Amino acid sequence: MLFEKLQRDERTISEAGKLGSVWLGITQIMLAGVVFYRLYVLDQPDEQLTDFRTVLAISIFGHIFMQLMFGGLLPMPTKKGMAVLYLILAGTISGVCLAIYGMPAASEWQNTWLPALLGPALLVGAYSFVAWLGKRRIEKMIEG
Amino acid sequence: MQYILDIMQYISYIAQMEKIQFENNLKLARVAIDLSQAELADAVGVTRQTIGLIEAGKYNPTIKLCLALAQATNKTLNELFWIKGER
Repeated sequence: MLFEKLQRDERTISEAGKLGSVWLGITQIMLAGVVFYRLYVLDQPDEQLTDFRTVLAISIFGHIFMQLMFGGLLPMPTKKGMAVLYLILAGTISGVCLAIYGMPAASEWQNTWLPALLGPALLVGAYSFVAWLGKRRIEKMIEG
Repeated sequence: MQYILDIMQYISYIAQMEKIQFENNLKLARVAIDLSQAELADAVGVTRQTIGLIEAGKYNPTIKLCLALAQATNKTLNELFWIKGER
């Protein structure tokens, strides 16, 4: 026999979960770093990174979704919290884009202002909706 | 501002939970009924290392495992586990 019999219990399962979560986070950060490096340092075209970014997005959003829906691990924002989150996200995205590309032409709003203002709204909306679903799921479990 | 307060409250809660430390009598209870760590581990369905870590105070078991350990050592939960400083 090459290995001893694998024994699992509550401690090993919990430790494996914690370590898995930490390493998933580290992997996602490293992958995001690679995407930024290839896009902005090596100047590789967007199309070459589409598959990479899709997998990274599925990984990050899937992880957040699972934590919200099944773990109740992330907080559900209040209405004021949602507004603040939206303002921070939209403000940051708009600010960075304005700093890099300058003020866009008014006729280009569909490709400039729309994604910069609508994208964060969709993100915050989706986050809050899934958080609400997760909270409702746990409340139902408590009620039996 | 509220978010900063919420985060500070959360950090304070975590720090407070960290302060609560458990102590246990598991080793004495196990030796009293002449069981090895491995035998006790088998009886409650965990690994020997988990029993060793609980005895060393380096792992806080779930209430389910605490109850199983109490049952296996013929002790009550209160005799086996308590909060540090309360005895």
